[in-house]
Amino acid sequence: MDLFDVSLDTFSSPFKLHQMKQSLKSKKVLIVEDQATMRKAIREMIYGFDMKLITEAANGSSAIAAMRKDSFDIVLCDYNLGSGKNGQQILEEARFRKLLPFYAVFIMVTAEQTQSMVLGAMDNKPDEYMTKPFNAEQLLNRIKRNISRKEYLGDIEKALDSGNISLAIAHCDKKLLENNRLMHTHLLKLRAQLAIKIGDFKNAKAIYQAVLEQSELNWATLGLGIIAYLQDDFSEAEAIFRKLIDDYPMMLEAFDWLAKTHEAQGDFAGAQNTLNEATALSPQAILRQQKLATMANMNGELSIAEKAYKTAIDLGKNSVHHSSGDFAGLAKIYSKTDAKSALKTLKDMRSLYFGNPEAELRAALLETEVFHQLADEESSVQAYQTAQKLSLELGNKAPTDLRLEMIKTSYLKGDDKAANKQLEQLIKNHADDDHFMEDVRKVLNETGNAQQGEKLIARIKKELVDINNKGVDLFKQGNITEATQVFQRAATTMPENKTIMINMVKILLHDLKTNEVNKEKIQRIQTFINKASQFGVKKEKIEHLQAQLNNLSHKINSTASQ
Amino acid sequence: MSQNAKFSQILASSVHDLKNSLQTVRSLIRTLALEQANSEKPEFQILDFETARMNSCVMQLLILYRLDASHFKPLLEECRVLDMLEEVGYQQSLQIQLRQISLAVECSDDLFCFCDDTLINTVLVSVVNNALRYCRQAIRLSGRQQGDYVCLCIEDDGPGFSYGIMAGTQGVKSGELGKGNTGLGLHFASTIAELHSQGQRNGFITLDNDSTLGGARFSLFLP
Repeated sequence: MDLFDVSLDTFSSPFKLHQMKQSLKSKKVLIVEDQATMRKAIREMIYGFDMKLITEAANGSSAIAAMRKDSFDIVLCDYNLGSGKNGQQILEEARFRKLLPFYAVFIMVTAEQTQSMVLGAMDNKPDEYMTKPFNAEQLLNRIKRNISRKEYLGDIEKALDSGNISLAIAHCDKKLLENNRLMHTHLLKLRAQLAIKIGDFKNAKAIYQAVLEQSELNWATLGLGIIAYLQDDFSEAEAIFRKLIDDYPMMLEAFDWLAKTHEAQGDFAGAQNTLNEATALSPQAILRQQKLATMANMNGELSIAEKAYKTAIDLGKNSVHHSSGDFAGLAKIYSKTDAKSALKTLKDMRSLYFGNPEAELRAALLETEVFHQLADEESSVQAYQTAQKLSLELGNKAPTDLRLEMIKTSYLKGDDKAANKQLEQLIKNHADDDHFMEDVRKVLNETGNAQQGEKLIARIKKELVDINNKGVDLFKQGNITEATQVFQRAATTMPENKTIMINMVKILLHDLKTNEVNKEKIQRIQTFINKASQFGVKKEKIEHLQAQLNNLSHKINSTASQ
Repeated sequence: MSQNAKFSQILASSVHDLKNSLQTVRSLIRTLALEQANSEKPEFQILDFETARMNSCVMQLLILYRLDASHFKPLLEECRVLDMLEEVGYQQSLQIQLRQISLAVECSDDLFCFCDDTLINTVLVSVVNNALRYCRQAIRLSGRQQGDYVCLCIEDDGPGFSYGIMAGTQGVKSGELGKGNTGLGLHFASTIAELHSQGQRNGFITLDNDSTLGGARFSLFLP
């Protein structure tokens, strides 16, 4: 027997292996640990549990490679892996690339208890944290507990994994009736989250309030805050998130939601401060750093933005969330004061994002500006031409902020014709996005095109309202076919317009409810929902529409089979 | 900043530093033990036990400092009492086995309570550590519902608590220094117990020698 691996066969205390050994036998385990001795120790513990299907990885890249090749039931991942990816970055990438099956248990091993609190990445939590040192009993106990939980929740997780929220809710409701004491509170938490996903705030709120009557569980309070936020009751949301931060100073989720609430209220300085506090507590979360950088940049707090961009670039080396936007943001800050550093940053960006048209376009636009400031007009024009070529190639695949940046540069280069043409397209597709339209007006002001721009905006908005009204009227008159056609035409000329997309889906859903149903119709609605999701319609809205569709298609399937 | 506040801040950061060093030492011991063929040497076991005690002590100090320095609430979750007690047992399994102590856990599997699992675990580990020092061969962990409270008990078959400790009158006397009896564990336990509240009711601890095993009995009541 060695010190930390209690040999289980001779173990005679009351803590015996339960009968679970049998079901554990078939489980595939991945151990991610950089230290060879430690890896060996864990492997031997797991062998002792009769689990022989073990894969080992000494670093993040081999862990990801292993998960690409094989579906694991259990991943035991050390947080500190020396250089390269850390455990959190592995988890994020695995979830992002969907490398973990819905039944997998991910256990993060940390060096100290408090570490788990500070790791809080935005949405990615492991199923369990384990603090070193641990022995075989502790490990086995955790594995068993998590596996049986995952098995119990399997139906729900499977439905969620395939995006079928209404089915997940049905499974959840059924399980709640079973009155399994051990799982009950967990099921309630899940049920409330599902209710929020489909916009059923009433039920979600009722669940959270009932839970809070029993005991002050902070996730229930957080849930009430999220509901207030989603219902645009920002002062209530703010009060709840502030109280949570006061009571639980390490609760990073509350910081993130408070920042969102500030942002929604137009209090960008408040959002920046909140994000700044959260990144000080937990500097490792790249998404939060990126958010802080953008926010500080917008607020003109350039030194904070610079620091956050640099941190994000550094974290990006090992993160699936790395972005050329961070380099561009940093270069842009430098471009005003330090042309040399700006060009150096762009060079780094190009070498890292070689052949990536979006990154190339960002770089070319910034070079246009930097060379102009260096009074090297020839290089500036050359960079602009490159930018224009790339912009045409990318078309509407480029993110909107980048397209607006292109328009601004065109105006500054005196290329009004190209700018106007692009602008009209952009406004048509995003006239209903107030925040973005504010950005558009800013660009119009800065380039001296405010007056002419306002006219354009007014004209396009009117066109949009007219089309929308016409479609809605036809719909109200019961003329669904023509209403659909109106929106269909609008969707062709304004493929990114969210209002059009959503109304289209709503009309088609209504049609499905009232008229004949068939697979083609369902397929068509699904295509629109997918597109709406792709073009950034709010997650809650998408999930609500998706749930309606699932419900309807579920009905069809059940009637068909009768 | 007052001289006192400054000192307590320095104390806290030193303790934190100490904890990090200790962590390194513990992981080095572990690595060494794994590399040695004769890792079952009693010296390694003693190193493990003593550094675990140090670790537990430092953890308690840090949590107490954080409590003192800023206001925070325990992170309540619904926990199954049996799981919590078993976890403490698992954590101590090595010592239990080496010293041939019988450690029994008695608790129904449908007893639940609302508590900060991490904080309560730190309390229980420190009390069990203490029981390990004083018991002859038996320790019993149990949980039960008692009125509005959930009661977690740790009993042993040692000599029992002294009258002074039970009456809460025994502080750190100069004569006690260096004997490993600082009063920290009990102070910590009662602080954490009290932090757990449910409406008007707060948690608390009691100490007596009414153990069925004949020795000390520590009881933690959670609302």
